[in-house]
Amino acid sequence: MKQEHSSGQPLPGGASAGALAAADAATGDGGDLAARLRECEAELARVLQDQAHVSYGIAHDLRAPLRAIEGFATMLEQHSGESLDDTGRGYLARIRTAAVRMAGLIDALQALSRASHDHIDVVDVDASLAADWALVELRDADPGREVVAEVQHDIQVRADERQLKQLFDHLLHNAWKFSAGRDVVHIDISAEREGGRVRIHVRDQGSGFDPRHIERAFEPFQRVHGPDEGGGHGLGLAIAQRIAWRLGGDISVDTVPGEGSVFHVELPAATGAPAEP
Amino acid sequence: MSTRPILLVEDNPDDVELTRIAFAEAKIANELHVVANGAEALDYLFARGDYAGRPGHGQPSLVLLDLNLPRMDGREVLQAIRADAGTRSLPVVVMTTSTEPFDVEACYSLGANSYIRKPVDFGQFMWAVKQVGMYWLVLNHPREG
Repeated sequence: MKQEHSSGQPLPGGASAGALAAADAATGDGGDLAARLRECEAELARVLQDQAHVSYGIAHDLRAPLRAIEGFATMLEQHSGESLDDTGRGYLARIRTAAVRMAGLIDALQALSRASHDHIDVVDVDASLAADWALVELRDADPGREVVAEVQHDIQVRADERQLKQLFDHLLHNAWKFSAGRDVVHIDISAEREGGRVRIHVRDQGSGFDPRHIERAFEPFQRVHGPDEGGGHGLGLAIAQRIAWRLGGDISVDTVPGEGSVFHVELPAATGAPAEP
Repeated sequence: MSTRPILLVEDNPDDVELTRIAFAEAKIANELHVVANGAEALDYLFARGDYAGRPGHGQPSLVLLDLNLPRMDGREVLQAIRADAGTRSLPVVVMTTSTEPFDVEACYSLGANSYIRKPVDFGQFMWAVKQVGMYWLVLNHPREG
């Protein structure tokens, strides 16, 4: 009775219309609830299908024209740049920058959609290694930046390795951006285990933000900083939150303006058990 | 270095032009034969339809295949290429916009030699096309015939 959407994952929620029908029969409530749940399941399956199509369309059909805009602006610059004045060359540079920025936005939208839909393999993962790996990539991408990073060893969680790495990508990138006004990027990652859960803390000494905006920080396209203060496409924290949820965890933040932020990621602790199907 | 033509299967004229420019800048002089859909690609490879008895009749040195094509899509083209003894060993490089895991997986299981995502940044696009050309036309030693 359980319906599945395109990626083969069972629908969220757990309860199935069949189970509810059985409960109805037992309590004599009639089939109304079961029928409504069946409708909801069908509707959800349609919505998920539509979302998958939109996401695929965005990824492909929007990128091709961008490639043309960026490519031909580059060619125009190479072929006719000499005959343009500074203003004209400035316009061309703006066109190219905007195209590349939009490509980044499309990638982020796709990552947001994938965070909720991609197939995941949940196994025991060394979160310290995933964080180190994300740090190495950030350092490579911005080699001129001085970074002091401390990552606690042996943080063992149960997660999908690729998605966990992505979660760190977004949190660390965030810390990086909001340390733009600092001479040095300070990042400190620590964790403690509480029963079957692990709480990981990602601490920066960046600009922080007004705690009144904490709820907004995780919503797609909500920026608590403008572009001049390091604000990006406004999807990074939304992606991180979707990933934490998908892995059966949660994410929250404490922040002090001018002093920095601490993101808390709670995940199931490693169990020593083999991969879940 | 192979001097046989490169078959570009691509329906987007902008991408065709950018690929031409990239090959020219990379000093890859092989003729670029462009077909805009999957059916025409197979007609060319199997020398039938409009390409019946096409001169030379040899196979291209390399097939660059887009995935989203009208009528017959890139996966079907790849399948047909791998199913025929005459084209089975042709190098086929999928050059597309998608990095969907199922697209990548489907192409490799159908026998693609490489899977390359077309970058938006033209500098990176040129670099990718140049690497493809260098590897498949210069470095790689193909099966004879």
